Amino acid sequence: MSTPDQGLALHHLTVRFGGLLALDDVSLRVTPGRVVGIIGPNGAGKTTLFNVVCGFVGAQAGSMTLDGRPFRARPHHLVRHGIARTLQGVGQFNGLSVLENVLAGVRSGRKPEQQAAAALERCGIAEHARQMPATLPYAVRKRVELARALVSKPRILMLDEPAGGLDTDEIRWLETLIREADTTVMLVEHHMDLVMSVCDEILVLDFGKPIAFGPPDTIRNDPKVTDAYLGAAA
Amino acid sequence: MTIVRDRVATTLHALPGKRRINPILVVVVAGAIIVALTYTLPAFRTYQLATVGAYFCVTAGLTVLTGLNGQLSLGHGALMATGAYTLALWQNKFNMLIPGVIVAILVTTAVGAIIGLAAARLRGPYLAGLTLAVAVVVPSISSTFDGTFNSDQGLPVALNPPPESILVEQWQAWVCWIAALVTVLALAYLTRGRFGRDMRAVRDDETAAKLAGISVARTQVLAFVVSAACAGLGGALFAVLSQSVSPGAFPLTLSLFLLMAIVIGGLGRLVGALIGALLLVALPAIAQEIGQSAGSQRLEGNLALTFFGVVLVVVMIAAPGGLTSIRLRRTKTTRTRNELKQKGR
Repeated sequence: MSTPDQGLALHHLTVRFGGLLALDDVSLRVTPGRVVGIIGPNGAGKTTLFNVVCGFVGAQAGSMTLDGRPFRARPHHLVRHGIARTLQGVGQFNGLSVLENVLAGVRSGRKPEQQAAAALERCGIAEHARQMPATLPYAVRKRVELARALVSKPRILMLDEPAGGLDTDEIRWLETLIREADTTVMLVEHHMDLVMSVCDEILVLDFGKPIAFGPPDTIRNDPKVTDAYLGAAA
Repeated sequence: MTIVRDRVATTLHALPGKRRINPILVVVVAGAIIVALTYTLPAFRTYQLATVGAYFCVTAGLTVLTGLNGQLSLGHGALMATGAYTLALWQNKFNMLIPGVIVAILVTTAVGAIIGLAAARLRGPYLAGLTLAVAVVVPSISSTFDGTFNSDQGLPVALNPPPESILVEQWQAWVCWIAALVTVLALAYLTRGRFGRDMRAVRDDETAAKLAGISVARTQVLAFVVSAACAGLGGALFAVLSQSVSPGAFPLTLSLFLLMAIVIGGLGRLVGALIGALLLVALPAIAQEIGQSAGSQRLEGNLALTFFGVVLVVVMIAAPGGLTSIRLRRTKTTRTRNELKQKGR
């Protein structure tokens, strides 16, 4: 049972890029064990929100807390805080084999090769361990990145459009992985079937502003969300 | 979980892995070959062999920096000068070679750390520009502080003579190759471990590297420091070989030669660095012979650079990965052919 302070909390975050208001007073509480989706049209500020949490972008206003303590991590310290993130597309080390790609994510613990191998097995790509990523199909490369994120055994897993470019079977596999991840997940995604099926709560952004927050059913029927993003078909 | 781990271990062991040669074995065999060569080659060739060893220290460090970490340095000639001048000053005061070489490495490492700190904030042409400035500025320091560095005349290097039973060239070759083999052994182990993986990860994708928990700046500074230490050692060995140091021995073209040599040899590979070191000695020697036979000193001075340029162009067209990639490609083809034979196809 988690206390109210546990998990990641974002308080009134505001980010400006020159004259563009990328995030406008965004607050969000990510409770441990929950899957939180962040959706919205292109340019709504979803990835910027991730970038603020990861320390790639500084917020002009607002603050963050992790387990009740002020939190402002530098990107390479995220793993130390138990946060792992994947990038849009495939953030990969093409000069390293698949196994080495995953090993790069092992920052602590004994027997790193065993840890990496377990992550590869979990993502169903153990047979590609010695291959170079550039020689593999896109879906496998996405899994390599996921394995690298999972190998650090994160408390919070941040997935930035993980379903992009994947076919139906791959998305079904991803859905199962998220459900069985046994960790907190923050998911930025345009694939609404995936978002609606795995998320416990969804934050909707539009032009950097939060317009709705709640469980999938509430979000699906929210007229503001329908107008701004989902459309009548949802 | 245990079942998964067992299955994983089985899977990994069953996979065809890269065959890795034990670096210690390579160093022992190379050491034996070098010793044999120093007893069979004539004195001048033994001196050239020693020069290859000194260059190998530098090219090995540079290929780690540029090939594995993706940092372009046009200033390694200046780092060599730092090592050489440090050894000269030390030897002329204390005349103790081994501590002198260590001090030269330490001083160059410190200089490399300062450059590395700046370099970690720069990318591409800006980094090249910074290191180029270092290559230009460092040798000119000798003119500014001529009381210490004796301007363009340079400094002599006091050295104790080797034992009477050994030729000077033999002794030089042993000193240079002991240093080179120790350097290569250290680099081989360093690049095989986590540090090597981190360097390559940073080279390939800095954002993904940060998210994997790798400190990009620290990795880049460390790579520069390691590379600078190798350049300092190489510079100190050059001071031992020539028994004098002067700014003319470390011109801007030396930095360019070093870079071209590792690109021709094959970036990021220690074997490529060895090929580069061989070229650094062989091409100017060939240019010198041609220049002398043509009776033109001016031609002699420019031919080496021309040779390097032509070889670089030809190699990049034939094998963009450098000369070592030709060898690897052949090995792969041969292996595939053998596998097909075994399958009876």
